[in-house]
Amino acid sequence: MSKPILEVEHLTQHFKINRKEVVHAVDDVSFTIARGQTLGLVGESGCGKSSCARSIIRIYDPTGGKILLDGEDITHMSQKELQPRRKKMQMIFQDPYASLNARMTVRDIIAEPLLAHHIVKSKEEANDYVYPILERVGLTREHAGRYAHEFSGGQRQRVGIARALVLQPELVICDEPISALDVSIQAQVVNLLRDYQEEKGLAYLFIAHDLSMVRYVSDMVGVMYLGQLVELCGAEEIYSHPLHPYTQGLLASIPVANPKLAREKQTSGIEGDLPSPVNPPSGCRFRTRCPYAKAVCAEVAPCMHEVAPGHSLACHLYD
Amino acid sequence: MSVQADKWAPLEQSSESREKIWSKNRTFAGDVWFRFRRKPTAIAGLVMIVLFLLFSLVGPMFTPYSYSDQNLAMVNIPPLMKVYDVGSCQVYITPSLKLIQMDAEGNLSRALSPVRTENGKSMMIFDCDGKEVALYYGSSTYVICDETTGNIYPSGYRWCRDHVLGTDALGRDILARLMYGTRVSLMVAFVSVLVNLVIGILYGGVAGYLGGAVDAVMMRIVDIISTIPLTLYVILIMMIFGQGLQSIIIALGCVYWVDMARVVRGQVLGLKQQEFVLAARTIGSSPRTILMQHLIPNAMGSILVTATMLIPSAIFMEAFLGYLGIGLRPPLASLGTMCNDANANLRTSPHELLIPALVICLIMFAFNFVGDGMRDALDPKLKK
Repeated sequence: MSKPILEVEHLTQHFKINRKEVVHAVDDVSFTIARGQTLGLVGESGCGKSSCARSIIRIYDPTGGKILLDGEDITHMSQKELQPRRKKMQMIFQDPYASLNARMTVRDIIAEPLLAHHIVKSKEEANDYVYPILERVGLTREHAGRYAHEFSGGQRQRVGIARALVLQPELVICDEPISALDVSIQAQVVNLLRDYQEEKGLAYLFIAHDLSMVRYVSDMVGVMYLGQLVELCGAEEIYSHPLHPYTQGLLASIPVANPKLAREKQTSGIEGDLPSPVNPPSGCRFRTRCPYAKAVCAEVAPCMHEVAPGHSLACHLYD
Repeated sequence: MSVQADKWAPLEQSSESREKIWSKNRTFAGDVWFRFRRKPTAIAGLVMIVLFLLFSLVGPMFTPYSYSDQNLAMVNIPPLMKVYDVGSCQVYITPSLKLIQMDAEGNLSRALSPVRTENGKSMMIFDCDGKEVALYYGSSTYVICDETTGNIYPSGYRWCRDHVLGTDALGRDILARLMYGTRVSLMVAFVSVLVNLVIGILYGGVAGYLGGAVDAVMMRIVDIISTIPLTLYVILIMMIFGQGLQSIIIALGCVYWVDMARVVRGQVLGLKQQEFVLAARTIGSSPRTILMQHLIPNAMGSILVTATMLIPSAIFMEAFLGYLGIGLRPPLASLGTMCNDANANLRTSPHELLIPALVICLIMFAFNFVGDGMRDALDPKLKK
């Protein structure tokens, strides 16, 4: 088997807010993404999913750990060294309104990566790439001369996708690409991403908080809580056999459409709020909200370990 | 109720029409112009600026006077003169007690000199085409009288044809001086804009984009530059280049970009956290591309607003330096020095101050209107 496209080892991302206090946005997160596979990353708002994505694509400088892109360590590369390698890794952003420059036409937006990597020399030349990719994402040539603000949310997000895909990357990081879209548009965008994956065999790191959508697109699913990965396993496995209490709680909080089933369902989602990432709880970070918390949970931080083939977990309940 | 099945047959659908954007496609410049021209004040401002440009550049060709021509016989003439009919001719009494003779159309022919003075009676006797008239200056309103008919009362007002806007204390034509003064002011405006747009934007943009220690050092330099008053720079630069417009322009060029640099830096600091800038970084665009294509175009609204605020203040700065006597060399005119020259005769000849002051106001209005229109026109989010 060929080496994985992305390996993340003990990735840590801290942000200083003043001299004393530090936000522990991402703490000791490890996972790998094989070529052509999708890893879904789920968790509550503020649990560090986006920070994790931004560290991997090196918008932030990681505090610790290692990021291997296609076997190459990019953790501490300078932006200059990194530039040619960015071709392999692209990102789709959450907000289709904020992620496109309002002063540029769609042609300029999609041509920007081509010009940055010297694939084409002029904007006229770029049309040979821009038109096919526009048609691929379901837009037309006529749209190339338009400004981003003239489009609907779904169309904008497809422009964002076209920008990410025009370089034919091997890994695309999707930072909640559908959470700002209407439900009817979400399926359209997700199907586009899946079709393209089948066609070109690229890998996704798919970040979302919509669990049913993650199940639909992912091969593997990682669950994050307060900057740490707590469970990592196959997509079907996590829905059929969730082991970590947090994962169970998350799944229990999915609304059920059938009112009869909804009444039977235990209403116990997860109580309380996410603790502050500035002062995370000692030991297991989930213990403050965990219904099964024991004394050991406050003292020893659980590590990720494999409890079944392809199913890793960080919880004292399964030691 | 019957349902007609054929009404429910689906229409033929093509992806073409589904994704079609129905609004008209326009180029960026066309779009900006479209929104700009819908603002009446912006168009008014633009027209005014064009008129001022024509006035200052083409105008001097149509006036017989130059800015430096002095006519000490015809000083402090207002544009609208109070005329006394002295039978054979018409005269105007200047505030400095001179009689100026004019013809029926309002052309000034000559200044009359007193034949004799009778100090005891506070009277001056003038010879007006062979007829003697006496000017009594003992009371606050001058009275003119002749021997036969007694007091002569003003017969009305008449526009001065020779000097449409009157003359100043040295008898120089105000209109001609106004043309040169406007030229100086517009030149100062042009230089300040150029300096702002080039140095200010680049300096502020680089400081804001790089951030951290570079930003701190660059902004401290800006602080130092802006704490030293502009007058000091002008005086120091004048030691080297001599007095005149070039020194003012060099001084403006050296220091006038600091406000713009601060504004641009603030904007860039805010914009660089936006997703489209992060996207450009993940794409691998060079810092230069990010600065020139993403950050600065998006900061253009506040850049233009700041520029239009700085133009009037640059014009005023030049006037202020003129007032202090370290501006233009005397025969040269600028709106500021004209205002200053008028100070001495403010009570008797207010037009000498009001006219250049009005022009300064109009220029500032025009630039503010245009800036306002540009800001709205350059923001595509306001497109309807």
